[in-house]
Amino acid sequence: MSGKWLRRLAASVAIVSAPATAQAQEIKFWTLSFDNPKMAKAFETIIHDFEAKNPGVTVQLENRGTDEHKSALRVAGGSDQAPDIYFMWAGLGLGGEFIKSGLALPMDKYYAQYKWDDEFIAPALSFSKQYSGGRYGLPFTFRGEAVYYNKALFEKAGISAPPTSYDDFVAAAEKLAKAGVPAFTFGGTVNWHVMRLMDEILEVQCGPEKHDALMAMKVNWADEPCATKSFEEMHKWTSKYFLKPFMGIDNNQAFNLFLAGRAAMMLEGNWLVGQLRNANKLADYGLFPFPGASRLYGFGEYNYISTKSKNPDIAAKFLDYLESTPVQQANVDLFGGPANVNKNVKSTSTEPLDLAWTKIFGQFNDVFVNGDQAFPLDVTTEYFRVINEVASDRLDPKAAAGELQKFIAARK
Amino acid sequence: MKFWRSAQPQGLLLLAPALIVYGVFALYPMLNVVVLSFMRWNGLTADKVFVGLSNYAGILALDPVFWTAFRNTAIWTVLSIVFPPLVGFALALGLDQKIPWRTPLRALFYMPVIIAPIAVATMWRWMYDPFFGLFNAVLTSLGLQGVIQDWLGDGAVALYSVFVASVWQTAGFSMVLFLAGLQSVSKALVEASRIDGANAWQTFWHVRTPALRPTITIVLILSTINSLKAFDIVYGMTGGGPAQATQMLALWAFTQSMQLGDFGRGSAISVVLLLITLAIVIPYLQWALRREERVR
Repeated sequence: MSGKWLRRLAASVAIVSAPATAQAQEIKFWTLSFDNPKMAKAFETIIHDFEAKNPGVTVQLENRGTDEHKSALRVAGGSDQAPDIYFMWAGLGLGGEFIKSGLALPMDKYYAQYKWDDEFIAPALSFSKQYSGGRYGLPFTFRGEAVYYNKALFEKAGISAPPTSYDDFVAAAEKLAKAGVPAFTFGGTVNWHVMRLMDEILEVQCGPEKHDALMAMKVNWADEPCATKSFEEMHKWTSKYFLKPFMGIDNNQAFNLFLAGRAAMMLEGNWLVGQLRNANKLADYGLFPFPGASRLYGFGEYNYISTKSKNPDIAAKFLDYLESTPVQQANVDLFGGPANVNKNVKSTSTEPLDLAWTKIFGQFNDVFVNGDQAFPLDVTTEYFRVINEVASDRLDPKAAAGELQKFIAARK
Repeated sequence: MKFWRSAQPQGLLLLAPALIVYGVFALYPMLNVVVLSFMRWNGLTADKVFVGLSNYAGILALDPVFWTAFRNTAIWTVLSIVFPPLVGFALALGLDQKIPWRTPLRALFYMPVIIAPIAVATMWRWMYDPFFGLFNAVLTSLGLQGVIQDWLGDGAVALYSVFVASVWQTAGFSMVLFLAGLQSVSKALVEASRIDGANAWQTFWHVRTPALRPTITIVLILSTINSLKAFDIVYGMTGGGPAQATQMLALWAFTQSMQLGDFGRGSAISVVLLLITLAIVIPYLQWALRREERVR
């Protein structure tokens, strides 16, 4: 009788504990919303296959818009509801903020265990080494940004070849303006879009060393003539060569206007190739790096393991699977194409724009990151404000560098 | 002790759940915000450092956006206690008459109130699109290209563009309150004034309007409170841009805390907003109540 009772008790315990075991094997992965349905499908397959290879493990994927993702992470980070893995940009700005606050787990042991240093390209890995206290995050994508141009509109303006110097670039914009074609389309509601032009102009006007010192706030913006000159140059572009109005539209609307042939150029990342492919417009556009910049403009996107994770080993195992050569090769067009972070993955594309990107990635030895990933968040917000004030003619470009410096000097 | 002895047990029992919910979800967070406004905290770590009044000094003296947000909130509040109540009152007067389709029209004008503000924001953002939006398309078709604006991208007009969308959404709420007030005016009083020879305007001004005073008080107080905490429609339409030109205090408090991770400054802005709200609403409420009592 007592044996039967004990067996029943053991069975009950097993039943009760079974869900708890399953719960313990669940990892939550928070990332951005996918703008391409094929990406959603790819993640569905990857997660399904990983779960099949690891019985008892479930991966819960949650997607949010950019700002919602940042806010949700901040709220969850203060509680025990944080995800096991979260997406965030690499670099000292956005990614560094969460690392500094202790949300990211040092991943040195996983780098050694999975030999990730042998698997990833060096520029993408470099961001993981920027922080004190260990290696943080694993490269997900590496994005380059360059100038896409409408071939027909360049031809209409009599521009026979992409400009190679900054002066040529301005001259090309002038030719376009004379032909009645706005040179650039940007969306001002998302602050980071117009910022890209300012970042590139700073790189051209100040050079790599001074530009880095400005972004690190190690030199005084107001004392650097190149900073003031950059704001003046940016204002020249926004007032003379932008498709207007631009402050009331976002980057997607700007892209639609670009597709409609309303402006000749967009300063966009390598992700735009996929969007042009979806629009069946690949043949209409060309690509060149921002003239006059000696470094490639780009940034890394990482996946980090959270310090709140109850299953960091499984989280690392999942990331290793996600970034593995077979998985990345199977989805190479979605995961960066020629800019895939896995060094063993080869792009199979023969599209001219993909090949142009391969050439650009090979052309530069060094990278500089977007302003919103170089600055701390509060300075980024002020950088956006000053750029937008200049772009909307509400602030004299000569006073802009001083305005930004005033904020930097007053920081706690 | 006297308070507890005189208390009705069943009254306290009925109030207890609401008081507990209020205490946990309203009073405690409010007090916590006041405490946080004296701290430096990034919202992620457990470390909260007491910094005295430096968050207040920071927002008042060093923050380039705070005073823009303050000015915008003041403009928004003044506009909000004038236009939505006026539009609501006009609609209520019209719909209080015996006109065909009165009930469906009441529902129609109230409809925007029940739509989520973020959906309203999305809808109006489309209509304001400078290239493909309804307003610029209509102006173009009327040959008024010169009037075309970048409604949400021009810092000089963006706040007012957002406000128009807000009026569209909130006027129905004032309308319902005014309708209820108009219908509660004694028909005998109105009839008596007409027998005494009052014309329509005199009846409206000397009989109906005084009877509407409690409703007007409620509408104005609610409009003031709602306008001071304006957030969602601005967030959805402009996010505070362009170049912070439509930034509001409530949105700036949220941005500081949730996006920039400075909960101390965000809380300090919230406390300033709370003090402004109390400074406006409490004296007005006291004045309105005293006047009510005198009328009685």
